[in-house]
Amino acid sequence: MRLKPIVMQLGFVLLAAPALAAPPDADALLRAAFDNWRANSSMTEITMTVYRPDWRRSMKMKAWTRGDDDALVRFVAPAKDAGNATLKKGDETWIFNPKLNQVIKLPASMLAQSWMGSDFSYNDLSKADDILTKYTHRLINTEQSDGHAVYAIEALPKPDAPVVWGKLLVKVRDDGVMLSESYFDQDMKLVREMTTEKVSELGGRQYPVVMTMRPAGESDKWTTIETVSAQFDIALPAYVFTLSNLQNPRD
Amino acid sequence: MDRLRLLLPLAWRNLWRNPRRTVITVIVVSVGLWSILFFSVLLNAWSQSSRDTTLKMMTGEVEIHAPGYLDDPTVAHRMAPPSGALAQILNSPAVKAYASRVRVSAIVQSEYKTLPITLTGVTPEKERALSVLPAQTEDGRYLSTAHDDGIVLGRNLVKRLKTRIGKRVVVMVQDTDGKLAERAFEVIGVFSASQQVENEFAFVGISGAQSLTGLDQDISEIVLDAANEKSLPALMNALKAAAPALDIQTWRTIAPLAYAVSTFFNEFVIMWLWVMFALMAIGIVNTQLMAVFERVREFGLLQALGMRPRLVLLEVALESALLIGLGVVAGAGLAVFTVRAFPNGLDLGFLARGAELVGAGRVLDLKVDPGEFFLYSAIVWALGVIAALWPAWRASRVSPVAAMGRA
Repeated sequence: MRLKPIVMQLGFVLLAAPALAAPPDADALLRAAFDNWRANSSMTEITMTVYRPDWRRSMKMKAWTRGDDDALVRFVAPAKDAGNATLKKGDETWIFNPKLNQVIKLPASMLAQSWMGSDFSYNDLSKADDILTKYTHRLINTEQSDGHAVYAIEALPKPDAPVVWGKLLVKVRDDGVMLSESYFDQDMKLVREMTTEKVSELGGRQYPVVMTMRPAGESDKWTTIETVSAQFDIALPAYVFTLSNLQNPRD
Repeated sequence: MDRLRLLLPLAWRNLWRNPRRTVITVIVVSVGLWSILFFSVLLNAWSQSSRDTTLKMMTGEVEIHAPGYLDDPTVAHRMAPPSGALAQILNSPAVKAYASRVRVSAIVQSEYKTLPITLTGVTPEKERALSVLPAQTEDGRYLSTAHDDGIVLGRNLVKRLKTRIGKRVVVMVQDTDGKLAERAFEVIGVFSASQQVENEFAFVGISGAQSLTGLDQDISEIVLDAANEKSLPALMNALKAAAPALDIQTWRTIAPLAYAVSTFFNEFVIMWLWVMFALMAIGIVNTQLMAVFERVREFGLLQALGMRPRLVLLEVALESALLIGLGVVAGAGLAVFTVRAFPNGLDLGFLARGAELVGAGRVLDLKVDPGEFFLYSAIVWALGVIAALWPAWRASRVSPVAAMGRA
């Protein structure tokens, strides 16, 4: 009569053991990092600073995201750049230039161009989640740092996926904070690298507050984005991600 | 005939009474003719090369498009593959070769660069008959079938993209829904051509291009070569009758620069001939007038001895004919010799990429056209003799009394 609970307990342990011992799933880790970064929806204030050998330049912007596909970024300072905005909806990207008072749908040729003179391209904005959909992921290393487990995930393009990179290497903390993302060419040579320089609490979660994008081999050129304030999982009105809001901000 | 037998040795000996003057005139004539002949060879080679680089690269002799394609080469201006009467003409012996292509503006992206290209979907076996580019695939291989998964890029484009054979590039085009379509291709071959062609064209199998752009079975253009150039107008009429809704044009309107170059060069040779002839004529007439003035006493004596003025005229004209003939033979020989000195064609490498600007290839294949050589030589000789009739006429008008009276 007492056998049954023991067997059940045994069975439970047997079932649970592999689950405990198994390394965390790379797909899930990446997904968690993206969810942590953007949540279901977000509204953030960001300062972007472009560093060049002879000058540096800071721009302030507000960004709204919804799900994986929709994003709106509007520059608010300095006055020279204020009003410039980029809307990404599904696969399409538009930019608005207040001086031209024109909305331009970004042609494919421009997607790889620098975004507002920074080391980011429009692709970084519009194809940020390529890594989730167009790559296969593999956990290659786990290490401890500052009381957190840090997972290194190698992402290789799926066969025939329309991506140019040879591989991406992503480091994610166990609480979903993205620590670095490195882009390698098809000879597995580093081309550019985004690293998180500061993690702190923001909008009720641990967040990569300061991130830097550096092209490889150019030590005097980089771009830093600092998230100043953030709200996550808020209800955003439907009009936010529309062309009319891109051109005529309602907030 | 007897008179000629008498006059010919006389003329020949007279020619060498003043060898220096004769040699100088022969040199003037031969250098003049040489320049005409060599220019004509060079310019012919140039216009041929310019035609070839244009027609044998991508253009072909006739292109068929949907209306509007030439102004806006996008998937919106597409046409169905040839069928019915059009297919019949294309497969008839009047057409040497034809190929259907998908040809749309696109973007190619490597890890380092994003560049604009013209994505060209081809059927390799058909393309080989029309274009020299498949044969100019220097590294790797050209596409093997219409379903080939690879992409063939120009040498300079590969360099700019910092990619190479075996690597992946992403091609982005606008599809028939107006959306951005993208696909990865492996670089399988690198072709060499003019820099502009190298940078512009990227070749993939036509099936791949059709599925990427959403064209299904539709195509952008048909390019064809006529069986022979003279039948081109008739062929054009037949094509236009068979496909009245399509935009059918010959290379003359599609590649006006190549056409302009070939016609301009022919005109230029003729213009050069007249310029050189004017210079030569001055030399010849001057020499012969000098000779005639020096020999006034002699002509007077000849006439006093009973030689008819007509024969004097003939004698001097014969002298000129021999003189110019010598120059013409020397000039033509020199020109043939010069052309022979470039058995592998004239390498325009020293012009760097400049030659490509005017549409020529890198190496000009110099060829002696015997008909043209003979024609230009004969023209120069005949015109020279005509010009020399004036001194001859002066010689025949010498009055024996006045001439003998001169010291």
